[in-house]
Amino acid sequence: MKRPWYSFLYVRSPLVKIGLGILAVLVMIAVLLILGIIEERRMEAQTANWDGRGVEKGAELYANNCYTCHGIDGKGLPGVAPALHSKYFFTQRIHDVGWTGSLHDYVKLTIAAGRPSKVNTQWAQIMPTWSNRYGGPMRDDQVENLTAFVLNWEEDALAQGTPDNPDPWQPFADAPSKAVADDGSAPVAEAPVEPTGSRTPQELFGGANGMGCAGCHNLDLPQTADSRGPVGPNMANLHETAGTMVPGEDAETYVHNSIVAPNAYVHEGYMAGIMPQNFAERMSEEEINALVAWLLDPNRQR
Amino acid sequence: MAVQPEIEKKGFVQTVLDAADDVFTRITAGIPAGEVRRMLRGEAPGRPNPRLKPHSEAFLLHIKPTYYHDSVTKFTHTFRLGLLSTYLFFVETITGLILMIWYAPTPERAYTDMIRLLSNVPFGQLMRDLHRLGAEMMVLIVTAHMVRTYLTGSYKAPRQFTWFTGVILLVVTLFLSFSGYLLPWDQLAFWAVTIGTSMAEAVPPKVVGETVNLLARGAPDIGANGLMRFYLLHVLFLPLVLFLFFFVHYYKVVHFGISLPSDEEEVGQDTANKVPADRRVYFLPDVMIDEATFLIGFTAVMVVITAFFFSAPLESIANPQSTPLHTVAPWYFYWLQGLLKIADKMIAGVILPGVLLVLLIAIPYLDRNPSRRGRDRRVAIISGVVAGIVMIILSWMGTPYYAVQGAPAVEIVQELMPEEGMGPVREIGYQHLPLGVYDTREHPETEDEEFNHILHEFAASIAAFEEKDPTFNNAYGILSVTQEQPSLKRITWEIFWLSPDGKEDRYLRTFFLHEDSLYWEQYGLKDFSFVRPPAEE
Repeated sequence: MKRPWYSFLYVRSPLVKIGLGILAVLVMIAVLLILGIIEERRMEAQTANWDGRGVEKGAELYANNCYTCHGIDGKGLPGVAPALHSKYFFTQRIHDVGWTGSLHDYVKLTIAAGRPSKVNTQWAQIMPTWSNRYGGPMRDDQVENLTAFVLNWEEDALAQGTPDNPDPWQPFADAPSKAVADDGSAPVAEAPVEPTGSRTPQELFGGANGMGCAGCHNLDLPQTADSRGPVGPNMANLHETAGTMVPGEDAETYVHNSIVAPNAYVHEGYMAGIMPQNFAERMSEEEINALVAWLLDPNRQR
Repeated sequence: MAVQPEIEKKGFVQTVLDAADDVFTRITAGIPAGEVRRMLRGEAPGRPNPRLKPHSEAFLLHIKPTYYHDSVTKFTHTFRLGLLSTYLFFVETITGLILMIWYAPTPERAYTDMIRLLSNVPFGQLMRDLHRLGAEMMVLIVTAHMVRTYLTGSYKAPRQFTWFTGVILLVVTLFLSFSGYLLPWDQLAFWAVTIGTSMAEAVPPKVVGETVNLLARGAPDIGANGLMRFYLLHVLFLPLVLFLFFFVHYYKVVHFGISLPSDEEEVGQDTANKVPADRRVYFLPDVMIDEATFLIGFTAVMVVITAFFFSAPLESIANPQSTPLHTVAPWYFYWLQGLLKIADKMIAGVILPGVLLVLLIAIPYLDRNPSRRGRDRRVAIISGVVAGIVMIILSWMGTPYYAVQGAPAVEIVQELMPEEGMGPVREIGYQHLPLGVYDTREHPETEDEEFNHILHEFAASIAAFEEKDPTFNNAYGILSVTQEQPSLKRITWEIFWLSPDGKEDRYLRTFFLHEDSLYWEQYGLKDFSFVRPPAEE
């Protein structure tokens, strides 16, 4: 009888089979040995991998939730929220507030539970609670990822302090810095940018040296019953509504007053004291007027 | 006999040797050392056969037949698929038990436990990969076992009930594999299982469907309760069901014998249990050595595949708020997903699979043809092959390539940098993404060949969609890579196009990539670049 081509599969000899079995065991041992030798490095790579992925997820969360107040690059917005990407923040902040734990815990707890106090702060809003343990939107793992992202600025932040790369820190009103400069004197805070009259409305509204208006006011969405700005009113339809808000005030006067004296009239549904009170000192009169005109321009250029 | 008289009678050495042989015989459950030697030399057993004793003395051997017909021991008759299915069940049990040590079935811990297993447990990744590969192979091999049985007509009388238990085992295997899918608690798991359980909701009448769904998920949506239920199904209930049906199945196999090749017996006869003395192949030693070698060899193949070519996926943590693009079922349910795309949820998700299951069970009763010979059962074999082809086509329709294309811009980015998993951009990695802004209209070239390849693909993909899709005109893309933080790059994809009414439209998608991130594909050569530390710059 002709043997089929696959007859090599019909091994009969027990000794050949046992030999093959021993060979297979040796192959397995060899593979496991190789894996065992590199296992330590594999675990290190995996640890770094998952830490890295956590930072990636944190970056996404930051880009979706935090940058409007803390700035795209984390260097803060004056009057809105403090700089995180700052040498001061990484080296001195926890000492100034008397925090005895680690910076990691400080950041994590601030994200999770917020900073729900308005005592002695110059920031426009309170830091909201982000963790869903305290009524916020984020799960624990997201808070952890966001913390990892913020702490990942460390290397860059510690290199700050040179004229080319200044520390964007603005002194905190709640806990004045107790840091001591190298020569023993009190540290000099970055001088706030003096109003020079040369800043454009766009820069003032959302720029790096601006007033941080963009943190709370949305220029692209209209302020209507179903589209309310959560912190400050939206501004896409400001030119239509500004003249109707306060009887006896035309649009220009209303917007001007709202900037220099925000508490004079607070729109229904918003709280007094959220918007900074010091814009009149921080901008020149020409700048304020230009800003008012720009805000009321129906074809506002970004 | 007392020791001293024995030594006096046989001498000291002989007494020790006899005692050693006695111990040996107890360990082998009845075969003395000399007989083992004769087995290994391939000598025929004496009469009465001294190698049958373990079958009555040892528990595990008493369920094995003492001899087989030599025709059914040929590898190409059964391909050892039944044995392999059983073996894989034991592999899954052992690797599964080891994985359970590091796992807690709660949404707070499940995913971090997976990460800890991968990054902090020596050989943890190997165990997980082995378990996953074993599960997929088990589905494959159990199915192949059924196909083999169908093609050789082995389900015919008197083996109808064996076939029935086999169908149950196939279903339990599928459910076992599927219930394990949820346990890592990542996006892949969460959404595959959400889709799977939502099919149960379609069971008529409405109140039954909703109750079944509620029972499976433990809440309207999958959460802590659902995870616990799937965990218990996976580690306790389904294995017990499988265990029970396995023994019924195997008892029937031994009871009726493995059916002979159809040419070796008359049509309508079943002579599997009437093995002539000269055709007998005894379990000890021939079949046992054969099976042991086969399983050891198979294990070696599995270990090699797991070590170098297979990585169980682990995506982002489950997020009930966001459904990833192109959510898919596990591959063995692609056919069901394909059906769901062309038919109503109730028909495709409940009625058709139900009918299919009943049909499978009923095959031995529908097929009244007594012959098991291929040339006598053309109708059965052709309909089997047609059913197989239909399954393959339906499976293809279940993949994202069929009928779920999103907007062109979304698809272009998804192809290069998917929301979950690797994709070509993450494959070349952080090192090969030079900072800058790259506009496809300018055909940018960089010093990095691998990155140039991505840019070409980006431009080519935009051009291809422009040609295909009339609503996607004058399109161009801008890819920008910026340094977001130390060792973190921001990758922004922007695609601009003109809609048919001439309006400019824009799609924007931002991703972040960390220097240390490793992304991997499920199948394919593993990345061992971590073995060599990166060269100092």
